[in-house]
Formats: sequence, C-alpha cells, structure tokens
Amino acid sequence: MEERIARFIAALRGAGVRISIAESQDAWQAIVCTGVMQQRVFYDVLRATLIKDSAAFATFDRLFSLYFGPDEPLIDPQADLTADERQLLQQALNELLQQLAQDLQRLLDWLLNGRPLTPQDLQRLSEQAGIEANESSSPYQVRRAARRLQQLLGWDQLQALLERLWEQLAEQGMSPQTIQHLQEQVARNQAALQQQLEQFAGQQTLEQRARMTRHPQAADLLQRPFSSLDSAAMRLLRDEVRRLANRLRSRAALRQKRGKQGRLDAKSTLRANLSYGGVPFEIRLKQRRRKPKLVVILDVSTSMRPVAEFFLRLLYELQDQVQKMRSFAFIDHLEDVTPHLTTLRVDEAVQAVLTTLPPGYYSTDLGYCLRQFEAKHLALIDSRTTFIILGDARNNFNDPALETFRNIGRRARKTIWMNPEYPAQWGTDDSDMLLYLPYCNEVHQVRNLEQLTIAIDRILL
Amino acid sequence: MFDTVQEVRRALAAQQYIATDEIATVIFLATRLGKPILAEGPAGVGKTELSKAWAAVTGHQLVRLQCYEGLDESKALYEWEYAKQMLYTQLLRDKLSALLADAQSLTEAADRLAAEEDVFFSERFLLPRPLLQAINSDTPTVLLIDEIDRADAEFEAFLLEVLSDFQVSIPELGTIVARHRPTVFLTSNNTRELSEALKRRCLYLYIGYPDIQEELEIVRLKVPDLAPQLARQAVEAVQALRQLDLKKNPSVSETLDWARALVALNATSLDQKTLETTLTILLKYETDMARARRAFKLGGGSDNGRTHR
Repeated sequence: MEERIARFIAALRGAGVRISIAESQDAWQAIVCTGVMQQRVFYDVLRATLIKDSAAFATFDRLFSLYFGPDEPLIDPQADLTADERQLLQQALNELLQQLAQDLQRLLDWLLNGRPLTPQDLQRLSEQAGIEANESSSPYQVRRAARRLQQLLGWDQLQALLERLWEQLAEQGMSPQTIQHLQEQVARNQAALQQQLEQFAGQQTLEQRARMTRHPQAADLLQRPFSSLDSAAMRLLRDEVRRLANRLRSRAALRQKRGKQGRLDAKSTLRANLSYGGVPFEIRLKQRRRKPKLVVILDVSTSMRPVAEFFLRLLYELQDQVQKMRSFAFIDHLEDVTPHLTTLRVDEAVQAVLTTLPPGYYSTDLGYCLRQFEAKHLALIDSRTTFIILGDARNNFNDPALETFRNIGRRARKTIWMNPEYPAQWGTDDSDMLLYLPYCNEVHQVRNLEQLTIAIDRILL
Repeated sequence: MFDTVQEVRRALAAQQYIATDEIATVIFLATRLGKPILAEGPAGVGKTELSKAWAAVTGHQLVRLQCYEGLDESKALYEWEYAKQMLYTQLLRDKLSALLADAQSLTEAADRLAAEEDVFFSERFLLPRPLLQAINSDTPTVLLIDEIDRADAEFEAFLLEVLSDFQVSIPELGTIVARHRPTVFLTSNNTRELSEALKRRCLYLYIGYPDIQEELEIVRLKVPDLAPQLARQAVEAVQALRQLDLKKNPSVSETLDWARALVALNATSLDQKTLETTLTILLKYETDMARARRAFKLGGGSDNGRTHR
C-alpha cells in the first residue's frame, strides 16, 4: 500500500500537479491518523492534503480511480460444477493445453481458474510490450497500451480456443446449460482481466512520464519569439506566466510602498494624532492613487494571437494591481471583451476572447475600429487612463484614422503601443507604425515573453 | 478529542451544521495534524459558518479577522497604545525626576532611564489585534481569517510565520509563542490565486454548492416551519436556477432567506405569483431575473420549480 501511495503521488506530479515534499509528508501523517480502511475517507484525506486547487480535482479523480479503483474480483467458474463435470473440464482442458503455446496456456489458466495477474506477470508483460514514456496518459492512449499487453498475452487467439473448448466439452457430453454458465463466467473474468490490464497500463505510462524531467529550459523560452513557439513550449510558458506575474506584482507593490510621498493630508493627520493630544506626531500624506486604469485594444488576427494571449494572461494575473481595465479585441471590427475577463477563469477567459473573433482571412482595419471606439466608448478615456494598443499596425492600406488616434491619445494619461515586429520592419509595406509613432508616449517591441513582461511592468508604473 | 470522522460529523450536526464527509474528514485531520484549513468555494455556501459551528462545537472563543485591501500588521497583529504611554509618562513624571535626581552625569541618567524602559514597552501598552489575541489567549481559540484573497500578497507572506509556527515577533518584546494552538480557518472566494507557500501550509477544502438532498436537509434543519412539500419545491427551484448560467448564482444562505420568506408569506405552494414576488431574494441582477422568468415561464403551470430540472 505504501509503495502504491508513493507511486500515486509521483504520478500526480507527472500529470502536472504541483505537490511539495511537505504536502506529501502531510498526506502520510494524515493517513496514519485515519487509516486506509474506508475508501471514502481515504479519498478525502489524500485530496485535502495533496491538492490545493479545485482545478486539479479532475486529474486527481482520474488518477485515484486508476490507482485505488475497485478491483473486480475474479470468479471461480468451476465453483458450481459437480465433481464429474469438473473432471470433464479438466480433461478437455488438458487435451487442449497440450497444443498451446506457453503464454496462451497461462491466460486460459487465469480465466478458467479465476486467478488475477500477479505483479510479476504484469512487470514481465510491460517489459515485453515496451510501454513508453512519451505516450500521454489520455484514456485513449492507455487503452492502446492495454491493447498491446493483451496482444502479447494472445488475447485474439484465445477466442478461437475457447470456442474449441466449448465444442470439445459438448462432444464429451456436458449439458448445454452448464456450458453456457461457464461461458458467461469466463466472459466476466475476461472483462475483469482486461480492466486490470488497463489500470496497469495507465499507471505505467504515468510513472514513465513522472520519471522524465519536466522543465526543459524555461529561461530560454522567455526569449524565444512568440511566432516560433510550438504547442508544448506554449504550455510551459503558460505556467511561467504566473511566476512572472507574481514577480511583477511584488515589484509594483514595493514601488507603491516606497513612493508614498505626496501632499499633507490634514484631515487624516488630525485624526491620527488625536491620541497625542493633537500634537502632530505622525504625519499622514495623501496617497496618490497609483493603480492605473487601463483601456486595451488588442489585435487578435492570426499573427498576433500568441502575443495577445500572453498579454491577456499576464494582465489577468495582475488584476489586483490594476484599478480598472476595459479590453477590446479587433480584426475588422471592434468587440468589447471585458465581460469575459471579469467573469471567467483565466484559461476560459483567454479562450473566450480569442474565439470572439475567429481567425481567418479578415482584412485587419484598425482605422475603422478606432473610429468605432471613438463613437461608442470615448467616455472611458480620461486623464487617469492609460491607453494601450497591442498590434502590428499592418492595416491593409486602409485609412489609419490618425486624427482619431490623436484625439484618443490627447484625452488619455499615456498612450502605449506594443508591437511584435522589429523596428526595422515598421513602415514597410502596409505597416502604418511610423504614422502612429509620433502620437504615442511609449512604443515597445514585444517579440517574446521577456519583452512583454518588461512592457507590462512599465504600464503598472 | 474526536476519535473518528463520524464523531466530528455528529458534533457539527448538533450545532445545526450539515457537514459532508469531506468537510468532516478535513476538520478531523486539522485537529489531528494541527494544520490550518483553507476553505474555498463560491460565496454563501457556509465557509464562514463552518468556523462558527466549529467554535461552538469545541466551546472555544472565535476570533475573527476580516481581510480587505490594505490590511497591514498594525490592524491584524498589534499596535502600541501611544496615548496610554504618553499618559503614563505624564503621571510618572515626578517619580522619574526623583529617580534621575541624584545622577552625577548625563550618561548615568540615561542609563537609569534605559533600565526602566521596559515599563513603557511591555504588554501593558500593547493593543492586541485579532492575530495576537488568538495566539496569546489563555484559552484555546478558533481563528477565522475571512476572505484572505482580498488582502494583499504581502499580508499573505506575513501570515506564513503565524500559520506555520504559531508565533509572532514583536521587535520590542521578542517572540510570542502560542500557548494553545488555535484552530485556523482561512476562507477564500477565489477572486485571485493564493500563493503556493500559503497553500502548502494548509489543508485544502473545497466547498461547492450542495446537491439537492443536502440542501433540502439544510433547509429542513434551519427553517423547520416550512412545509416539507414546499421545501422540496423551493430547493428544486434553486437547484434549477444554478443550472441557468446566471451572473450570480443563488447561494445556500439565499435559499434559507427565501425559505424564511416563504414561511413569513404563509405560502402553501410555489405558484406563479409567489415566485414572481419573491424571486428578488434569490437573484440580485436584473438580467438574471429576466433570464429566470423566461426559464420558469417556459414550462407554464404553477409547478414551476419542477418542470425545469
């Protein structure tokens, strides 16, 4: 049991759930307190000590049933037979067995005597089957691995053999009812054995994966351009985003704390010093509202998607450092995506934003979108708002609506443009970047996560 | 003091708190391992109520710390009572001058004063805030740190020392170690991710919406005056509402409010009119109301709660 729990924890880690040593220690202690006899309590104990995020419950449940799921007991098909019938079966079996290869023989033996596979058997099988680490632990893959194990056991030949066994028994004079009874029970044993194999295969693939090192080089990834990321790297980066956000948050909070110089707050000072008999002992200053208000316009056309995704993720994690944020996405027209970001969890939110405007052969038209923004949402921009545009400024030779852009910029506290292209590419072809440039307070190049982090840090300033 | 999970469960039930197996197990573990419990879940499912019930079960005093943005040490841990210190200095002035009267040099006077310094920085002048109260209490306490996700990340870091060692450092006094380990409940509405370090120190308890049987049991227990048939209809209606993808789902406490309202209105069945007039107790957004009205009308008839499950 102990070994099984340890392997279960390793498998959870392999499936991407973060479990520290302290937590696994807690789990051990807790199990000592409650024992393992009650399945339900055992489940609750492991979950309360190991899993600290409700999003990981699904993974936990899946693995739990894999490792501690009910084992279907195999039935002994011979239990209900009379002594004569039993002898008949044994005789037929013996005749048949002589013709069989060793593995098949053992399989038939298991089924007809109702014995489950021993760990040694399974170990030997998995070595032969060569279950590999890179196989994912999806139900489909697990079934495939289990299927390979079955093939090794000679499952396919088995059906034919059983048919022959029944025929032989009938010839030797066993009654049809008994044969049918025997058939049913063997079929049930077959199912149980299959389940055992599946469980084993699932555990194997997971453990192999847990043994592999998980984080290649997060630092390298930070500097890889978004456009060159494959889906595995994207996944790693998504994990990295949270760490980055934490760093940004503490930086921003520190700045806020240190930057507490401002004008004297007479009211608050008086109140604070009442306890000193009105002698101004402690000076209170007016705290400047430092958290920024943001209005963000995101280009979510195909080329911009990864950048937009990570931008959203970072800002989502940093929501507590932002006073207010309104977000819009555009390709050929503008959509308000604020509701998604405020009501959903981060993964769903990002997904929802990106699917509001599905990618395709749209003609990006920032000019039109800016006008739309001016007509409907201009009131959002005031002297405390930072206006951010995330886009490559490739406008398909449409009207860039410079006057509108300038208008918006004049109302805002700051206008910041983030562009994933190299400065040398600005202004080439249909890029209007150089036209917009004079009206921006800051322009950042954001090709990779590191640059994006720096740019967002500037926003929080 | 509790030997099995079932005992915990029964004790909570005696305090009118219906605990699921999971809740009972986690509390049992917390008492055994001396670990804080981090309870997460939607608002109004009884996270805060749980700690109150537990305080009642154990007979310990409940110390509550409500978190908010900008909460800092001086609000959560302790503060020096300057005014009292000043007052004492004033009153003790004569004594002080007598003490210093025969000092030969300034250095000597300063030394003598320093020897008495402890008088002014003692627990006498310390204003304990909830955390210190819980740690310093003569009797065991239940400490409830409510809505920790509203506090800043720095405060979370500060809590770590308290939660892992049950001790706090006060520079002038030294380290104060808890006489009795308080049972700590942290609640979070999941508005932001808590730090890994904090989660690691806690047992995790997710309290979701109860299923229909559990909720019915809660309603029966808390609002015994409601007719059983009506209670069932009401709970079914609430459960149906939660399936509707609303802006804000009705919580358990709102179900109870509604049940009490139905009793007050002497309602006998959940007909169109009663539903119409009392829906505002459950739903707090106009758009949600409109959606619920549409959903309930679709089925027609008076037995609305049931037609939409």
